[in-house]
Amino acid sequence: MRDCFFAGAALHTSLGRDIDAHLTALQFGPAAPGHATAKFAAREQVLPYKLLRDLPLLSIETRLYDVLYAVIREAIAAAGLNHNEQRRLGLFLGTSSFDIGVTEHRYREALLNNNNALAMDQSSTMGQVATQIRRRFDLRGPDYSFNTACTASANALIYADAMVRSGQLDHALVVGVETFNAITALGFHGLQLLTPTTMQPFSPERNGLILGEGCSALVLSHRPHDRNRFRLLGHGNLCDTHGMSAANPDGSTVSYVIEQALQRAALTPQDIVAVKTHGTASLSNDEAEAAGMRRVFTRMPPLTALKPYLGHTLGACGLNELLLFCAAADQGFLIATPGIGIGDDKLGVSLNQTPIDLPRGHFMLNYFGFGGNNTALIVSNQETP
Amino acid sequence: MSWQIYAAGDQQHAVVDSLPELKALTQATTGKAFRRIGRFIQLALIGASRCVQGQQLPTDTGVYFASGRGDLELTLEIMTQLYRDAQTPKPLNFVNTVSNAACFYLAQHFALQARSNFVCNRYFAFESVLQLATLDLTMGAVTSALVGSVDIATAPLNDHRQRLQQSRDTAMGEGSHWLWIGPMNAQRPRLGEILAAQHFADKEALVEWIKRCIDAQQCQFAAGQFLSSPELQHIRGAGGLNDEFDYRSERAYYDSQSGAVMSEFLRNPSKATQLLHINADEMGRYSVMWVAR
Repeated sequence: MRDCFFAGAALHTSLGRDIDAHLTALQFGPAAPGHATAKFAAREQVLPYKLLRDLPLLSIETRLYDVLYAVIREAIAAAGLNHNEQRRLGLFLGTSSFDIGVTEHRYREALLNNNNALAMDQSSTMGQVATQIRRRFDLRGPDYSFNTACTASANALIYADAMVRSGQLDHALVVGVETFNAITALGFHGLQLLTPTTMQPFSPERNGLILGEGCSALVLSHRPHDRNRFRLLGHGNLCDTHGMSAANPDGSTVSYVIEQALQRAALTPQDIVAVKTHGTASLSNDEAEAAGMRRVFTRMPPLTALKPYLGHTLGACGLNELLLFCAAADQGFLIATPGIGIGDDKLGVSLNQTPIDLPRGHFMLNYFGFGGNNTALIVSNQETP
Repeated sequence: MSWQIYAAGDQQHAVVDSLPELKALTQATTGKAFRRIGRFIQLALIGASRCVQGQQLPTDTGVYFASGRGDLELTLEIMTQLYRDAQTPKPLNFVNTVSNAACFYLAQHFALQARSNFVCNRYFAFESVLQLATLDLTMGAVTSALVGSVDIATAPLNDHRQRLQQSRDTAMGEGSHWLWIGPMNAQRPRLGEILAAQHFADKEALVEWIKRCIDAQQCQFAAGQFLSSPELQHIRGAGGLNDEFDYRSERAYYDSQSGAVMSEFLRNPSKATQLLHINADEMGRYSVMWVAR
């Protein structure tokens, strides 16, 4: 089995258009959300939202692809792929909403002229986004669009890594994308899961989540650029049948994927230097995740949560949060959430409050999604032998 | 490396005037009364249950579920209610819009405690999840895999035809196709063997592989639904493939028809011991599934 390294990455979220901008923004702590307006029929609903930085909610027909193409182009360039290598890339897309924002926009426009306009008349296939990316970059490898809610791009990474390790591909492109759409925004609003303030996972003051936009791309390569590049060391994934919208609060299904990931990485809990929690700031997630980690870790490693910064970027959060975490770790620090997650006595976990030095090592990242999809990743930047 | 097909099952039907009611069929097939699920999940449960036939799957069986368009009915319902009728999404409807909701019901029904994935691909839906399932089996991530695809029709049918870019006289249908596969195992039923599930970047690579791997004397070929006639003729000629297995000419239209070919071939008495299914996309990429009785 071959090694597989993170060879080039790019990230655009509410914090900035590139990774350096993200690292700069982290210095100021989590910011309050902005707003987005969901327009439907003759109504409007203003909702808290973390929109893409420097990309206003205009030109809906092209906005999704503008951000996708820019991020992918940057990641491929960072990986230093030549034309033939780019052409043979496999594409692994993770998203929960695909191009539904574009589809909504077209339908809304059509209804202005015709109350019987046909919804989804131009795009009803869920493979459309991948098709556009393939055409744009002339990608001729296989493509897979993962739609497993909040674990989608994390799962996309797992399979991209496996295909490179197994020798089926030399290079793989993993993409996570989530942009504003009214159905998702109003769906979460209807579930009463949104907070107007700041996400506060693992805090008694938790009050729900903020949705965020984000787009990220990562090129994986069997070719080591240097021996201390980040790589995926292990993973766990489980279809958790306890409930459609939350993991088992006793922590059993969360600990299952964490233990699976540790086993695949041939590590013990003591080997984990820090954990990026899923941290959605819903009571059910906080309870299940805290209980799951307590089952595995007798001594809890430092914990961080990135949704207070990025908002919940749903299907893209797997890759968005991984890249942000790795960028900070490459700079030698663990991201802090000052004033958030100071401690909930009932849960027995708390988040890192000030940036602490982070040595090279092995790190765990948790993701849990609607539809009972739980994923844990272990990545490492410890030098390979 | 080849993989044993332990079981196969399908539900497919033409849709003529109105969408067939699936609730009673779901209950009859699964033995359970499911509440609050739509036709997409119902069709998944019916097809997968026909495959499993009441057997107890190993708990570490992964679910690999594909679709060309997902739960189109539910997405359309929410979109029209929101934009035409100014009704915001109902919570349960919204939660069920996540495509892996169907994986949840499958894993729960078959008492599975393993991974699940929902993957979309316009042209190679079933082929995609078969590739991921065989990858996971190779890597030892699961010990067996439930692999399937579902695509449903929506009402009214003429609108559905328009969305799928089909002519007004195209017969429309729905399909749910499932395989239970895993390592070669003499203790388990053996319907057939998957010899390859593979992607090709272009025609040249495909033809080279066919020449190298396929014995045209014992292998039938089947054309996937997105393989054009000129492409087919070229590949037939270059690869020396003569004996066609037709599983599509009588089939009403829906995406992800590739899922039907293996069980159709294995059910069909024929002298050929192998089948090569070839599908294509709009960029001239190819995907093959190679199966033996």
